[in-house]
Amino acid sequence: MSDVPKGVAAQAATIPATLIGRSRAEEDRDLVRRAQGGSEPAFEELIRRHQQRVFALVGGILRRREDVEDIAQQIFLKAFVSLKRFDQRSAFSTWLYKISVNECWDYLRKKKVRPLVYESDLSEEQVSRLDGIVSHDRPPEAPSERAEARELLERMLEKLPEQDRQLLLLKEVEGFSVEELAGILDLNVNTVKVRLFRARGRIMDYYRKRIGSTAVARNSLGAGERKGSYGSG
Amino acid sequence: MEAANHACTAYEAKLEDYLSGQLSSTDSRQVAEHLKSCAGCAAALQDARASVRLLRVADSTPDPGPTFARNSMARIRAELATAQEARGFWQPFVALAWRFAATATIGLAVMAGYDVVKQHNHLPQSTVASVQQADMRDLFTTEADRVPVNRDEVLVMVAETEHGKH
Repeated sequence: MSDVPKGVAAQAATIPATLIGRSRAEEDRDLVRRAQGGSEPAFEELIRRHQQRVFALVGGILRRREDVEDIAQQIFLKAFVSLKRFDQRSAFSTWLYKISVNECWDYLRKKKVRPLVYESDLSEEQVSRLDGIVSHDRPPEAPSERAEARELLERMLEKLPEQDRQLLLLKEVEGFSVEELAGILDLNVNTVKVRLFRARGRIMDYYRKRIGSTAVARNSLGAGERKGSYGSG
Repeated sequence: MEAANHACTAYEAKLEDYLSGQLSSTDSRQVAEHLKSCAGCAAALQDARASVRLLRVADSTPDPGPTFARNSMARIRAELATAQEARGFWQPFVALAWRFAATATIGLAVMAGYDVVKQHNHLPQSTVASVQQADMRDLFTTEADRVPVNRDEVLVMVAETEHGKH
């Protein structure tokens, strides 16, 4: 999976000509300085440049698509109000992502909801369909199959501790790098790697339990392993 | 939930890097060697690879599109205007309160200063000493030592003296 999210490339076209030729961080610094001086167009440009990542972050933590836009707007409002106090010692993106994470946790605390809760467990039939995806590395093509597979995955993710779930989604689905996650969550890079690796083990442990027989799961995973293209080993 | 396949603690972070192809060739060779002899790490790596395939099913959150930045700025302007309006309504009251507080503080300071100066002027050291002296005399002088101040007291003293003789 690429670390560059799909939306970033599309956003490159919207960058003003004066910013071309400099690094993204330098461009951000310049825009922040202008926005701190009261330039609304500069802040609007900052929103445009970071909206996709903020959406990914909020979506990865909350997994409630209907609330993402509202919370993202709230995040940019908070960033605008506190921008004068931002001393640019860290990257604007790191500062903004920290605001985003805090806003998501505030939202979850206020609403007193877990991101998603499924009442029932997976049926054997559902698990065997999911097994096909994992074993053969063949994502379902029909929209209805994709939707069902997504729902099955959500149910499996639901069994994980909150932090494991967020790390897996932000890394594997939303495309954040380990270094970005460490910066956002105020964790050591090595700690993020260890937690991610353990979270992978936990979700597959649950998956294997649902399959029923460890031997069957091991065989099917082995088949997938041979066909898998991810990784260097 | 306990993971069934335990990797060696010292290799967990390296295996995560190995999975995403971010290890140097030297480290990568070292991990590959370790995997040949460690069933726990090999099984954990298999699980990690399977988790990548499993999570591919999920869709990433879509980009909100070009209108989002414009809408967000509009909301920011609206929120700031509302806050400004709220501040505008209370502004005269707040200003009045501040003026009152400042006037009261200055008034208290002037009064306290005046009082200190007045006390200082009305009670010089010599006065205080003389008052204390007078008080001492009142306490320790006897009736016989007292000097009459008017005619009645003279008469009373003469009468008392005469009475004493008898």
